[in-house]
Amino acid sequence: MKENKQNPLLAVLKREIDRMISRRIYFGVTIILPLFCILFMATIFNNGQMENIPIGVVDMDGTATSRNIIRNVDAVPTMTVTKHFANPAEARLATQRKEIYGYMVIPSDFENRMMDGKSTTINYYYHYALLSVGSEILGAFENVLEPIALTPTIMKGASLGLTSDQIMSFIMPTNQRSNALFNPDLDYSVYLSNPFFFVFLQILVLLTTVYIVGSELKFHTAEDWLEKANGNMLIAIVGKFIPYTIIFSCIAIFGNYIMFGMLHIPFSCGFLPLNLSSVLLIIASQALALFVFAIFPVMGIIISIVSMIGSLGATLCGVTFPAPDMYPVIHGASYLLPIRHFVMINQNLLYGDYGFAYTWINWVVLILYIVPPLFLLSRLKRVIIEHKYEGIR
Amino acid sequence: MKAFDNIKLFFTRLTEGIIDEIKTIGTSYAIVLVLMGGIFVYGLLYNYMYAPNEVTNAPIAVVDKSKTPLSREIIQMLDATPELMVRTDALGYYEAQELMKRNEIVGIIYIPHQFETKIQRGEEALFTTYQTTTAFLYYLAIQKATSFVMLTINDQIRPDQLVFLPSKDVPAMAQAQSPVSVVGQALYNYTEGYGTYLIPAVLMVIIFQTLMMVIAMISGEEKETNHILKYKYALTSKSGIVQVILSKTMTYGLLYALFSFFLLGLMPVIFDLPNIGKTMDIVHLLIPYLLASSFFGLAASVFYTDSDAPILMIAFFSVGLIFLSGVSYPLELMPWYWRVAHFIFPAAPGTLAFVKINSMGAGISEISVEYITLWIQCIVYFILACWAYRYNIRKAVKKETLK
Repeated sequence: MKENKQNPLLAVLKREIDRMISRRIYFGVTIILPLFCILFMATIFNNGQMENIPIGVVDMDGTATSRNIIRNVDAVPTMTVTKHFANPAEARLATQRKEIYGYMVIPSDFENRMMDGKSTTINYYYHYALLSVGSEILGAFENVLEPIALTPTIMKGASLGLTSDQIMSFIMPTNQRSNALFNPDLDYSVYLSNPFFFVFLQILVLLTTVYIVGSELKFHTAEDWLEKANGNMLIAIVGKFIPYTIIFSCIAIFGNYIMFGMLHIPFSCGFLPLNLSSVLLIIASQALALFVFAIFPVMGIIISIVSMIGSLGATLCGVTFPAPDMYPVIHGASYLLPIRHFVMINQNLLYGDYGFAYTWINWVVLILYIVPPLFLLSRLKRVIIEHKYEGIR
Repeated sequence: MKAFDNIKLFFTRLTEGIIDEIKTIGTSYAIVLVLMGGIFVYGLLYNYMYAPNEVTNAPIAVVDKSKTPLSREIIQMLDATPELMVRTDALGYYEAQELMKRNEIVGIIYIPHQFETKIQRGEEALFTTYQTTTAFLYYLAIQKATSFVMLTINDQIRPDQLVFLPSKDVPAMAQAQSPVSVVGQALYNYTEGYGTYLIPAVLMVIIFQTLMMVIAMISGEEKETNHILKYKYALTSKSGIVQVILSKTMTYGLLYALFSFFLLGLMPVIFDLPNIGKTMDIVHLLIPYLLASSFFGLAASVFYTDSDAPILMIAFFSVGLIFLSGVSYPLELMPWYWRVAHFIFPAAPGTLAFVKINSMGAGISEISVEYITLWIQCIVYFILACWAYRYNIRKAVKKETLK
């Protein structure tokens, strides 16, 4: 192998930039698709509030009282009464068609029975095949209908001349005040936009990394690549990865700015730690992809394996279904993914900013991802020189 | 006789095309891996990951400043709810906060100093809950459990509270049981769990995504190696390109009929997912779904240049498709452009329609919007797929003649 006069790192860098410019795919996966992810996660939840969810009403009573209840229900910001039905069967069909996400049934003779003190029931139904919407409807119905159930007792007390304090402490001797910490409105964009953008981004980073290394082997340019690096695999890898690390980091920082700066997702920690953890996630993902690829350097196979590993991040990051509530094996496995550590760091930063002391392990793990692929560098080099895995598709 | 010969040739080429395509799929490790890994491993893994289904025994801390029999009863009841587990009730608020920071608990319940005293004085006694919002399911679990405990305790101590009312009113109020009761009922998810809600949608997206990847790998490879020239005959006649598209689509359709049976037919039975839909309705849905997906993938092949690069464009968006389907966040609340996008990708209406049939017991008339959308997609993407393949083949011919 002849010695290059140029600094090998610079030579690899220059070569990589030439490669990036030569094909549109690189522009697509490093700029267009990540920007699309930012746009998607920043806008999909609209204002983040589940508001004006369409619901239906079956009013079989048709009295002033039942209309009053319906007006009360309609006034709840979470839901809007969009449909009135003659009977529950119709309402149920509309729910199946997903025209409404829930409905309430006021039985016939409701007012009369209530006045006479005979028992009667208001039923409400919420859509749990669409669980996230259904739970919002459930909460809203509970809030608006529970007081209605108490109304007769309150009226009775009032007619006896009791004060409202006396009545309330009789009906509800204990009460609770609940505080959803750091996201009091249960805003979906606060909850999901940031972690899921990075779930998307880490998949792109994993795939791109496998592609840029794998395509060298596939298109028989790997020897030239190694030559530029004076046969030093580490320099070859570092020089190759740096442009991507920089571009993806810029995208991630831009994404942070869009979400926290423009969409005003609350954060108290400042941009520095957020951006730092984002950059670390990118480097750790690159390292993980390189590690997996170096074990079995056949791009066609590894790229699909990596795409599956990356997609698992959406589940295993633990944002939607909490990881500790999965089976222990899965919970344990979730810590193998950089995105899990990243999410733990970011949730700590965003929800309370408790400080480095509580997440230092996750920071360290993210950095340690760099180590395992180092052991496989010599293997990768051997594969390149000996053309070992060529022809496997 | 000429017409007969033409028809015969059409079908011979169609069969040849199918056999050829099966060979391509079967001889590529990468494609077999996507199919096996994507369909079987992923299908099973997703079920396993979400098998716990619900948040149970979420750890909380109770800060009990009251230290009375009543507060202890509340703690015991909270601990006894399926949703929560009281990690400790011996700490002060700051120590409990510390546990929360270390992610060891997900909520704090604070029972103040004069809790029982207030009740004994006939005043309203308030306890406070602080819930983490790092996962909404934790919030919901705590909310459900504490409301339940509160209502039970209230029912239990209400008779004692009669002493605080003027004695003349006691008999009247003691009987003032409200005649109105309010009953809520969850529809279409008998376990009320997270897995039973999400997995049916995921299975449908798995079908779409793996099919996209397989098509991308095959058509990318064809273009990369110029093997696409084997379809050169398609340029000579109008039916030629239709043959190419149909033979490919029929191959994928055959394979995916099997995979769909595994994912949509077997998985729900094995893992007790909701499956109240009629099998025939699901079959009816799958026909346009698989056709539209296949045509969509083939039409997208204009953008593919080799067998691996397309994966980069496909794989990252799986979760996005779940969102676009409207299963997790209501479509009505999304901005208009994402509602439009819902009608562009076959996976979005397909997933929604499947959830409607499978989980909600809807029939074809209830999924008419999605069903018609899928058929329109079939037509549009079929034309686009033909056009895309003709373009691809022409380009390959040009490349060949340049050599």
